[in-house]
Amino acid sequence: MLKRFFPLLLCVLLTACAAPAPEPAQQQVIAMSIVMTFTAYGGEAEAAVTSAAEQMCALEASFSRTLPDSEVSRLNVQGRGTVSRNLGELLQAAGHYCASTDGAFDFTVAPAASAWGFTTDHFQVPNPEELEALLPLVDGAAVTVENAEEGYDVVLGDGQSVDLGGIAKGYAADLAADIFAASGIERGKAELGGNILVWGTRPDGAPWRVGVQDPARPGEPNALAGVLELENAYAITSGSYQRFFEAEGKIYHHIIDPSTGYPADSGLTSVTIVANTRERPEPDRPGNGTMCDAYSTALFIMGEEKALDFWRTHQQSGLYEDAFDLVLITSDGRVLVTAGLADRFTPDETSGYVYETVS
Amino acid sequence: MKLTTKELTVCALLTAMALGLSYLENLFPLSLAVPVPGVKLGLANIVAVFALYALGAGQAFLILFARCLLGSVFAGNMSAFIFSLFGGVSAMAVMTLLSHLRGLSVYGVSAGGAAAHNCGQIAAAMLTLGSTAPLYYLPVLLGVSLLTGGLTGLVCACLFRGLASTNFMKG
Amino acid sequence: MKPFPELRPAPWDLAVVAAVLTLALFCGVMVWGGAATGLTAIVTADGEEIDRFPLSAPAGERTYSAGGYTLTADVSPDGIQITASDCPTQDCIRTGRISRSGQSIVCLPARFILRLEGKTEINSSGVDAVIG
Repeated sequence: MLKRFFPLLLCVLLTACAAPAPEPAQQQVIAMSIVMTFTAYGGEAEAAVTSAAEQMCALEASFSRTLPDSEVSRLNVQGRGTVSRNLGELLQAAGHYCASTDGAFDFTVAPAASAWGFTTDHFQVPNPEELEALLPLVDGAAVTVENAEEGYDVVLGDGQSVDLGGIAKGYAADLAADIFAASGIERGKAELGGNILVWGTRPDGAPWRVGVQDPARPGEPNALAGVLELENAYAITSGSYQRFFEAEGKIYHHIIDPSTGYPADSGLTSVTIVANTRERPEPDRPGNGTMCDAYSTALFIMGEEKALDFWRTHQQSGLYEDAFDLVLITSDGRVLVTAGLADRFTPDETSGYVYETVS
Repeated sequence: MKLTTKELTVCALLTAMALGLSYLENLFPLSLAVPVPGVKLGLANIVAVFALYALGAGQAFLILFARCLLGSVFAGNMSAFIFSLFGGVSAMAVMTLLSHLRGLSVYGVSAGGAAAHNCGQIAAAMLTLGSTAPLYYLPVLLGVSLLTGGLTGLVCACLFRGLASTNFMKG
Repeated sequence: MKPFPELRPAPWDLAVVAAVLTLALFCGVMVWGGAATGLTAIVTADGEEIDRFPLSAPAGERTYSAGGYTLTADVSPDGIQITASDCPTQDCIRTGRISRSGQSIVCLPARFILRLEGKTEINSSGVDAVIG
């Protein structure tokens, strides 16, 4: 009897010892002034994170407004030109979201943002006449982007310049998703300086737990307004606490309202947009990450009421693929979570916020 | 393996009892007292120990497979099957080994089986999750298994004492 | 025919108990005790790895230059901290001491990242990432 079962016993003991424990492949880079961390399990994990890190550096070289010979810098100086596929499709998407948000998101707000010094870190409060004179330049509809043989032909209006700061991180998340999909990644995440793409589930099969920073306590790593449990999703946040400066006792943040030229004063302190991952709807249209980034900026500028109306309109449009959900945090201490996220959001009891579900 | 009608009937009866005990122990969730996933009384192990001694390892394994298969059919998921099979087979293998050693009582055998059961389940968890993370729970599970194994041993000892006056054990 | 079991606890039962306890202790030391010492610090500057050492390495100060800035790290078995940096933001110093797998200290102006990596990363109560 013993002889018969000894091999079995041995097998059990050996399996117990030899259980594989795949460690994730991970890459971290600094690009576009943020820390990007890519984590992947399964498939071609190592190749995927390396390729993602390389592509992000390439994106920075193309999109930067501070590097003088980046594609964007050259376009802004020359006012027209043929640009790469990446920049072209992103500008096209930016134009689309500029129109769909009625100009609340505008990628041509750069002249006004520069007047405040947000592009150079030499902060100043511009005088009203100066801003007034710059406002006509802020008009995304005046930019034309056309598919050309090699890349895209772009023409800016006179004096206009583009700044992709409000949409580039979302586009980076979309590229990461493209790479994850092509590399057969089973699970992973791309953390892009306070924004995230989660792919599949955690290694233990549970959804990824994504904390939403409490905007009232920006420096503290464990100060959360709540936790989202997400799978195959983008979560992208715009907040007034992310970049700001103080002048004469007043705080000026970096999200400039394209209609006034001033930092948006909408009663919101943080807007998080959550949407599912999906394949590119068309070969030259980026996925939902780009949308989330554009909408997080736009809805921050719109304020609570208009943002929720915007969300409701899109819910009713019946386009499930374009559906998204919101976590809005108001300056008067409320956290509004839209219905689709209600059972995936856990409030932080210690935060002191009042939590509401909106439908 | 050829079974007599009596043996087949006893096996079927014991399988049903094991399933019943598995269900029963869900009513006493030990994990409330020890908050670690996988902690349970292991009442079905009583049947395993009993079958090992009363019917021999061959039929004991047969009952084990039937219990794991039916249990996961009722529970409705495949991973439950893998977990219970890994745990059950490890436990049965270790108990078969231990039962052949002299100087060990039914307490030692069932405690060893309970510990092996947990090792098997952790191995299954590591395989299905592809992570060594479940190992974190093993020390606690092993500690608890000494208590639950002892309890199983006690129940079995009482059982065998009761059966000693019958002719069941004599086949 | 069949081996009838011994129904009273026997002395060798203690050997089984001892074996199980030894296994538990061994596993405990391996997975819990290893957490503090099994960490590796990985230092990158501008994407290139410039240093890698186990946290259990002799405690002391390590100096790195990255992106034209100089950073000083204080290393001890229970964590790492940037104690001095001539970068303009000083965020790396404000990050404080890091001690767990997955944590990192970042200096954006120097494009410097110091990350702790460990064998296993258990994250049952906390979050996997923070956005905002």
